[in-house]
Amino acid sequence: MKPEFFDRLFNYFSWGCSILLVGAVLTIVGFLIANGYQSLNLHLIFDDTRPLDAIFLKSQVFDGLFPAIAGTLFLITLSIIVAIPLGLATGIFLAEYCPPKIKGSFSLLFDILAGIPSIVVGLFGFCVTIFLHHYFYTRLFPCLLISALSLAFLVLPYIIRTTQISLETLPLSVRLTAPSLGATKLQNIFYVLLPSSLSGILSGIILSIGRCAEDTAVIMLTGAVATAGIPKSVFSSFEALPFYIYYISSQYSDNSELMKGYGACLILLFICISLFVFAHWIKKRLSQKILYRP
Amino acid sequence: MPMTENIKINIKNLWFYYNDHPILEDISLEIPQNTITAVTGPSGQGKSTFLMTLNRLWESIEETRIKGHIEIRFGSDFQNIYDKRYNVSDLRRQVGMVFQVPNPLPMSIYNNIAFPLKLKGENNKTLGSFRVEDALKRSFLWDEVKDRLNEDARALSGGQQQRLCIARALVLNPQVLLLDEPTSSLDDKSGRVIEDLLLELKKDCTMILVSHYLDQVKRIADSGMVLSDRQMKQQW
Ligand SMILES: Nc1ncnc2c1ncn2[C@@H]1O[C@H](COP(=O)(O)OP(=O)(O)OP(=O)(O)O)[C@@H](O)[C@H]1O
Ligand SMILES: [Mg+2]
Repeated sequence: MKPEFFDRLFNYFSWGCSILLVGAVLTIVGFLIANGYQSLNLHLIFDDTRPLDAIFLKSQVFDGLFPAIAGTLFLITLSIIVAIPLGLATGIFLAEYCPPKIKGSFSLLFDILAGIPSIVVGLFGFCVTIFLHHYFYTRLFPCLLISALSLAFLVLPYIIRTTQISLETLPLSVRLTAPSLGATKLQNIFYVLLPSSLSGILSGIILSIGRCAEDTAVIMLTGAVATAGIPKSVFSSFEALPFYIYYISSQYSDNSELMKGYGACLILLFICISLFVFAHWIKKRLSQKILYRP
Repeated sequence: MPMTENIKINIKNLWFYYNDHPILEDISLEIPQNTITAVTGPSGQGKSTFLMTLNRLWESIEETRIKGHIEIRFGSDFQNIYDKRYNVSDLRRQVGMVFQVPNPLPMSIYNNIAFPLKLKGENNKTLGSFRVEDALKRSFLWDEVKDRLNEDARALSGGQQQRLCIARALVLNPQVLLLDEPTSSLDDKSGRVIEDLLLELKKDCTMILVSHYLDQVKRIADSGMVLSDRQMKQQW
């Protein structure tokens, strides 16, 4: 058989796979839209409260998704704020400062951490909370802060490993340029190495944002509840979209509630897409700012 | 034998290893001030490596080892460049390097040239832009880029990038300049322009030039060395 035959075969095969996957994504999104679009309106989010009153916390929303949306946004922001500096610093350490002897075992540990199921991380966060509650601070209960810290723990390995790998795969010529011009190691890292690996690092962060937005197992053990309103502080329990979706889909009493669940799915999808777009925009602005500032 | 006050670089019993595999074996060499020393030799013999021993750049590469002694005369005294107390950034500001493959940083043209000044902490904008312009003029790139200083340097042609890298090495006015095949991606005419520049630079700079073009070496170098079989031999 001619090699061209295999060439063509492989070409068809990869086309087939891609079309299958794109089809699957379109089916899911189409299914959600078909089921959720009727319930998708301001009433779903704000119930009978006036939207501006709700946003400025003048009056509370009881039967709408607004508290869950706010809870999810708080949760993502808080987790990412904790995870980014820790993850970047650790990734930089592994790629640039770690002695080769211990690098292997550290990397292995972070890979294991990445493989821990989220329910286990949730359980761990829960146990730590109980421990702290008993021995240190009896007013501590599962809350937004605990959830955010547990989620940060869950996504840290992604940020660490993507940072490390994008730094390590930079070609030697890029690595040597700044030192040859008199840069210290730190200057090299901040002026050249990090900006050059920005897109790899950002893909890790985007993955983490997605993970924080969708994860249910961690938050349901560490502070998410069905009704809580807007969290008053990081020590309050909170509502979150994925938890709401889980809750509705397992306990809905009538069809209109189920429809609200579909609406919540669409909103969660929309939030994720917006965050991705936002992250890409930041990436563009950041590289412009770092590299082209006159 | 030149007299010691004319010596700029003194290399004694230099050995270099990648992964315990010797690349340079017991090289001793004296390089006089304000000269161009050419290093030729077959590919893969360690010419680029030899240049990196003079600005300690090999220290950023893993699994490398050096043995021996190198001193460079800055001002009136010889400085052992491997002295623990000697600051390696200072060394690299005095010993500039132009790489074999042009390596513009992912920045604008202007920022590339101004980068060494920024690293040094020189924040005077007016003086900075003056020095950037001067460096670009000296490397004969100014006319081609003066209207597009804020564009990405990686969009320049290979030859332009090479001159950009020369300009970037010149902006700090180094006393020693290590040039790794600086005209390899230039046509004959542009290559000649760079040669004239190097001859011009001789009055305030000591240069070591790796080159494959024997006629170029004959035209501009004061002495020629051949690196092969881990040894450096003087040709003329
Ligand atoms: N990072 C590295 N790790 C291990 N060995 C290396 C490394 N870099 C270079 N070498 C080896 O060192 C030897 C000398 O390399 P070098 O780049 O100095 O040669 P060169 O004389 O500049 O060659 P060319 O004329 O092709 O540029 C080569 O045999 C190469 O395989
Ligand atoms: Mg070379």
